[in-house]
Amino acid sequence: MSRRYDSRTTIFSPEGRLYQVEYAMEAIGNAGSALGVLAADGVVLVGEKKVTSKLLQTSRSAEKMYKIDSHLACAVAGIMSDANILLNTARLHAQRYALSYQEPIPVEQLVQSLCDTKQGYTQFGGLRPFGVSFLFAGWDKHHGFQLYMSDPSGNYSGWKAAAVGANSQAAQSMLKQDYRDGLTREEAVALALKVLSKTMDSTSLTAEKLELAEVFLQPGTGEVQYQVCSPEAMGKLLTKAGLSQPAPEA
Amino acid sequence: MAGDLGFVSLQIFEYNGSAVVAMVGKNCFAIASDRRLGVQLQTVATDFQRVFKIHDKLYIGLSGLATDAQTLYQRLVFRHKLYQLREERDMKPQAFASLVSALLYEKRFGPYFCQPVIAGLGDNDEPFICTMDCIGAKELAKDFVVSGTASESLYGACESMYKPSMEPEELFETISQALQASVDRDCLSGWGGYVLLVTPTEVQERVIKGRMD
Repeated sequence: MSRRYDSRTTIFSPEGRLYQVEYAMEAIGNAGSALGVLAADGVVLVGEKKVTSKLLQTSRSAEKMYKIDSHLACAVAGIMSDANILLNTARLHAQRYALSYQEPIPVEQLVQSLCDTKQGYTQFGGLRPFGVSFLFAGWDKHHGFQLYMSDPSGNYSGWKAAAVGANSQAAQSMLKQDYRDGLTREEAVALALKVLSKTMDSTSLTAEKLELAEVFLQPGTGEVQYQVCSPEAMGKLLTKAGLSQPAPEA
Repeated sequence: MAGDLGFVSLQIFEYNGSAVVAMVGKNCFAIASDRRLGVQLQTVATDFQRVFKIHDKLYIGLSGLATDAQTLYQRLVFRHKLYQLREERDMKPQAFASLVSALLYEKRFGPYFCQPVIAGLGDNDEPFICTMDCIGAKELAKDFVVSGTASESLYGACESMYKPSMEPEELFETISQALQASVDRDCLSGWGGYVLLVTPTEVQERVIKGRMD
């Protein structure tokens, strides 16, 4: 029986590996990629939408970017149905914290609680792990802007720039090359788009294939704001970055 | 004995003293409250908030026991925030009223000692007002709703001063006069008033002075 150590998530293989967790990570490797860049004045998340069929109705503008609380958002790579469960828990946890303490939940605490949930599914009874990696972007009064990445095993880590999903290795090394400290948000957007354009499988970047979300502080009030880029603005950004030709007008 | 308990739990609504009123005008509404927080006859604070914002076009005033008003508001924010995140839109006043009602009835046998007043602008900026008792029995109205220790005098004042389809400025004047006239007849509420005037395009917040005693 060759699949001896595959069938149960909670059993180590003789080499000390958890196969189901590794398979979950494999599943994410095929999902549309997402990357995040930390800037001095905000955090930028960019995601690639996999357009499976042009008959598919796109229900909302954002399918990879989710707001968790006013000061906190995330990008998803992996199985969306799994992600929805985790997003529900995340939102609930954030609001429970706010109800108890009357202040927004610190970013890392939220990430940690979500990763505790993920970890539980790699250790306890007969279930499979969540096939989801997240990029969290947020702001709190303790550590300012933050970017975290989490994987199905329940590991998480803070980054200045990070990528998940298809070709994330390549994206990660490009980010490592081109990232420098103290980027502005505008530069971070340009960097993220450039890296994504080079690591995406499809040749031409179009606004329909991309999603962009930013977390930043509102200039006047100092309130944290989460903003999703509209397809029109996205098109303009791409043209500005020289990554796509403006659509030929009929 | 049951009669005694009933007496105690009715008294609790009058412990801090309150007056809340909402009125509908032409494509607008106003919601107002007094500012006193007392412990029976002793005044403790004169800047107490009983009207809370849910979103730009939806407000709730909570009369009754101050501690329960604050807790209830916090729970409502919790539920509304989750709704906003999931639905990516604000709650309609009607839906919100049902939420408040459900939340109150959850505590049917150990209620929050609050009587809410809900006022908002719904679809096409249609004004909506309603009130309910402490266990969530809704009472919808087209003109005005009142609650609090001054509610009896508020009924009278509103009944005689209210006119249908008032413009925002006249509505402000009417609700302020009605509130002021009523709290002067109630020794547990008063110490100035707080009025919110909500139109489709703007929200005006005004603090009014009255008899400060």
